Amino acid sequence: MNVELILESLRETFSTEPLEPQAVPIDETFVTLPPDCIHAAVQVLVERFDLRHLSAITGEDTGGEIVLLYHFWDGHGLTLRTSLPREDARITTLTDMIPGAVFYEREASEMLGVAFDGHPNPHTLLLPDDWAGEPPLRRQEERQ
Amino acid sequence: MNRITIPIGPQHPALKEPISFLLTVEGERIVESALRIGYVHRGLERIFQNRSYVQNVHVVERICGICSHAHTTAYCQGVEALLGLQIPPRALCLRTLLCELERIHSHLLWLGVLAEHVGFTTIFMYAWRDREIVLDIMEALSGGRVAHAVNVIGGVRIDVDQEQVCLTLARLDELERRIETLLGVIRHERTLQARTRAVGHLSIEQVRSHCVVGPVARASGMDVDLRRDAPYAAYDRLDFRVITAEEGDVWARTMVRVLETVESVGMCRQLLAELPDGPLAAPASRRVPPGQVVSRCEAPRGELVYYIRSDGGDRPARVKVRTPTLMTLATLSDQLRGVNTADVPTVLSGVDLCIACADR
Repeated sequence: MNVELILESLRETFSTEPLEPQAVPIDETFVTLPPDCIHAAVQVLVERFDLRHLSAITGEDTGGEIVLLYHFWDGHGLTLRTSLPREDARITTLTDMIPGAVFYEREASEMLGVAFDGHPNPHTLLLPDDWAGEPPLRRQEERQ
Repeated sequence: MNRITIPIGPQHPALKEPISFLLTVEGERIVESALRIGYVHRGLERIFQNRSYVQNVHVVERICGICSHAHTTAYCQGVEALLGLQIPPRALCLRTLLCELERIHSHLLWLGVLAEHVGFTTIFMYAWRDREIVLDIMEALSGGRVAHAVNVIGGVRIDVDQEQVCLTLARLDELERRIETLLGVIRHERTLQARTRAVGHLSIEQVRSHCVVGPVARASGMDVDLRRDAPYAAYDRLDFRVITAEEGDVWARTMVRVLETVESVGMCRQLLAELPDGPLAAPASRRVPPGQVVSRCEAPRGELVYYIRSDGGDRPARVKVRTPTLMTLATLSDQLRGVNTADVPTVLSGVDLCIACADR
C-alpha cells in the first residue's frame, strides 16, 4: 500500500476537506473526514487502490460525539476517522462495497446506537433480541 | 420439494461453544442458513475501560481459551507502543516462542475436532494425544497450559535456562515426528479426503470481499500473513514459509494448518537456538500518555486487531478487539449453501470457529 498516493487521491477527491493525516503507531495513518464523505472515500480505496481489507470498525463515545474508525490494512494500516452527533448518529453503510462490514456495523450499531443507512440486516449481533436498554458502550454519566 | 427450517443450537453436539443456526433444507440439501451469536458476550470492551492497563492484561488473556497468548501479545505491544518502550530482544523472542507453541496447540486441537466431526476418531485421539506434548512444553515454560500469563507490559514474565531449552528441543523433536505421522495419514487417507474435498468452499473473491483472514484465507489462495507482511515481536529474525493452498475447501484448510504446525516447530527451534541474552522486560509506567494505537498480530486463526486509546490515565479510554472468527462467521451462509446436512459439522469445524473470541 502506498499511503502517500492514497492521501493524494483523497485530497483530489475531497479538495475542500482538511484530511489531517496523522501517523499513529503501529505503522498506521489516520485520516479524518466528515461522515458524508466516508462512503465516497471507501469507494476511492476500493476502486482505485483495490484496498478492500477492512480490519475492523471501532466506535467510541467520547462524550461529545460518536467517533467511528474504519481500519483498513494492506501491508500498512490506514484508518478513516469520522465523528457523528450523539443525538442523531447516522452514516451510510459500506456493505454494498465491502460485504465483510456486515458484522462490524451491526456491532457498532447496537453498542453505540449508530444507524447504518442501507444495511441489509440491521439486527442485534451480540446483545439479546429483547435488549431494551441503552447502547452499552454509550457513556454512562451522560445517560441520565 | 418442501422446505423445512431446522433450528440447531445454541447448545448442540457439533461445537462445544454456543452458537445458533437456522438451517432451511430441501431434503438433505441446505438452501439457506442464518446464525445467531452473542450467547457468551461478556461485555469485555466495557470492562476494559474500568480496569487499569496492568489488570487488563489478565482480562484480555481470558477472551479466548486457546489463543490467550495472542490476545496479550496484541494488547501488550499496543500499550508498549503508546508508552514508547523498547522491548528487550530476549523478551521478544520468548513472546514469539509462546506465540508459535500456541499456534501448534491450536492447530492440533482443531485437527482433532475436525477428525471427530468427520468420524475419523483415530486421528482425533492421535492429534489430541500429540497436543499434550506442546501443552507440557508450555506448562514447563510458564506454569500454565492454557492461560500462560507470559506477557507483561514491557516484556515477559518468564525466563528459560539452558536445561529448559534442551528439554524443549527434545520435546519438539518428538512433536515433529508425531506431526509427520499425522501428515502421512492425512495425506493418504481417502475417507478424510472424500469428506473434506469440495466441502465448505470459499473462492478467493469471497475471502477478499468478506475480509477473511488467517488459515481460511490462505487455504483459498490469499498469500497473507502478518508474521511476514508486518513483522512484530521477533518474527523479523525468523526464516519460515507462509503456507497457502488453492482449493479453498476444508481439505485445503486442513493441509494449510497441519503444514503450519511443521513451520511453527521450525520457528520454535530457531528461537531457542538463538535466544539473545539480556533483560526480560523494560520498566513500564502505570500511566499511559495520551494517544491511540492499532496493534495487530497473527493469532492461530488469523489477523487479530486491537485498537487502544489512552487519555493519559492509568485506565484505557477505549479498547476495541476484533477477533479473526468474526469475519469467518459472516461467510458461513455462503459455505453452507448447497451442502449436504451431514456435512454441516465438517463445514463448521473446517473454519475453526472460536465463539468466545467472536462474542467477547
